[in-house]
Amino acid sequence: MLAVAVGLLAALDRGVASVISPASVVVTLLGVLGVVQGVRYANARRDRKRLPTDPGEPERRAPAAVPGAELDDRIARVASPAPGGYRDRRDLRDRTREVAVAAVARDRNCSRGAAATAVDDGTWTTDPVAAAFFHKRAGYPLRVRLSAALRGRSNYWYGVRAAIDEIERIEEGEP
Amino acid sequence: MSDSRGDGIAAGAASTDGDSTEGKSADPTEGKSGNSTETESADAPTDREHRREVATDRWVGIAGAALALVGLGVLVRQPSLVLAGAVGVGYGVYARTGEAPTPTLAVTRSVSDESPAPGDEVRVTVRAENVGGTALPDLRLVDGVPPGLAVVDGPARVATALRPGTAVTFEYAVRAARGDHDWEPLTAITRDAAGARERTSALDAPTAIACTPELSAGGDLPLRGLTTLHHGRVPTDVGGAGVEFHATREYRRGDPLKRIDWNRRARTGELSTVELREERSATVVLLVDSRDSAYVAADPDAETAVEASVAAAGQAFSALLDGGDRVGIAALSPLDCWLPPGSGTVHAARGRETLATDPALAPTPSDDRFYRSLWLRRFRRRLPADAQVLFFTPLVDDTAATLARRIDAHGHLVTVLSPDPTTSETVGQRLATFERRQRLRTLRSAGIRAVEWGDDSFPVAVAAATRRWSR
Repeated sequence: MLAVAVGLLAALDRGVASVISPASVVVTLLGVLGVVQGVRYANARRDRKRLPTDPGEPERRAPAAVPGAELDDRIARVASPAPGGYRDRRDLRDRTREVAVAAVARDRNCSRGAAATAVDDGTWTTDPVAAAFFHKRAGYPLRVRLSAALRGRSNYWYGVRAAIDEIERIEEGEP
Repeated sequence: MSDSRGDGIAAGAASTDGDSTEGKSADPTEGKSGNSTETESADAPTDREHRREVATDRWVGIAGAALALVGLGVLVRQPSLVLAGAVGVGYGVYARTGEAPTPTLAVTRSVSDESPAPGDEVRVTVRAENVGGTALPDLRLVDGVPPGLAVVDGPARVATALRPGTAVTFEYAVRAARGDHDWEPLTAITRDAAGARERTSALDAPTAIACTPELSAGGDLPLRGLTTLHHGRVPTDVGGAGVEFHATREYRRGDPLKRIDWNRRARTGELSTVELREERSATVVLLVDSRDSAYVAADPDAETAVEASVAAAGQAFSALLDGGDRVGIAALSPLDCWLPPGSGTVHAARGRETLATDPALAPTPSDDRFYRSLWLRRFRRRLPADAQVLFFTPLVDDTAATLARRIDAHGHLVTVLSPDPTTSETVGQRLATFERRQRLRTLRSAGIRAVEWGDDSFPVAVAAATRRWSR
């Protein structure tokens, strides 16, 4: 572009053309071109993803899975307030509900049906967050919504933690 | 891992041949100064499998930097900058001319003990000789330590450079654990002198160790009342010879005098005979859950529940054989494992071998898929009609609990023995713990005996459960 502009100027004005030495211009242009292209090529290193061979850690024994690690992965996936992960949310809620129903039935010495009703309508606990986790219409308390919004978490994440805490309390026989 | 340059240099726990400080040198220069090298070898090259060849991208951008320098030198009319750029161009050309050499190595691996006891340290020595005609300016060797073994001394790898005819030796130690352990191929990574291209190959040097634990009887395992017709130690509801009172009945001609209830005779004048609870032997099958899901532990580096189950099954196997029962072994696994119930010294040896080295009970899970219905059909077909089942499972999924109930429902009394692999640090782990507890409760409410052990040893847990059951 610069070369074209200088060329046009030289064609229009003979004075300009006489000042510019053709050899000097060409060398300068080559230099500029070299710098620009060189920097471009050198920058390619930044964007290149290097994939070195990874021989792993053969010195370490194959690690064992920890029960619940896969559930933690799911919980981490649904911790974000972004929509999605419907299957993970449903599966986690179902499994937590099963455990909650069994714990309530045992704690209150009632039938599983009665315990399921208590869990579904939120009367199984005094914790509104744990209650809202299973209750279809009850919303989460305002403080939980605000905290979730500020910390970039989903309400669901708070709900599942509260429900597990509550189940533990029942399991341990705490009042 | 550091790069090494120059023939005969070894880095890490390694040395070239002839080094008296073999396996101890961590200084690359030490190997260079103290080692002699083999120059002739009759070794045949080890079978090699090419895995991958890639550019390392180490020199990416060098041509651009050189061009920029030349351009800048031209722009400011400085010959020194143009010259510096020309040097960079030289590097760029150098990086493009080389090819990663193909390693032609003769690899030998030796172990200090091929049949160690569990917990023993086994020293492994690996020697790789360059039997090809090409120098290997940058060679990294990473040994294929079996996944069930942990290295306890030294890295199982080395970085070096080898001229044709020279060799490198490195050494490390592994802690022996139960099972057959086969070494995987050694990985060789070679680079050209500039390090611009990299080739990965696998070199197969078969090596194996077999670690077979001794079986020790642990815990007087209470069996359920499904017995054979043979005399044994399991109390039954059948009256006859034994030690525990069962009932009295009318005297029949031929009853032994010592069994006549003389007190009653004195009181009423009637003759009656005391019957004792007959004790018979049982046929027991030890079923170990070794599906992929059973390879769990409270910590990734801890022993898995399969290890705990196999150890407990070994103790039960010895205790039951000593008590005169017929014992068999099976695995709930994608791989077939079945030792029919039997007794005697030869059977005891077979049982020990099965628990130690059967592939279905290996220290790491099988990649095969488990088909529950097929497995159950085959297991039921094999199970003797009078056999009861001791089922060792961590109960971390519903399948194990369902199978226990189904086997019990088919008339084979089941006792579940469950090592506890759960922990309660995260929300997911707590949920998994609650689910497992619930499975145990469900089994117990269905009339299936269940024993779990965690920090306690297996015999202690069995003794506690026995007291609970006898109340």
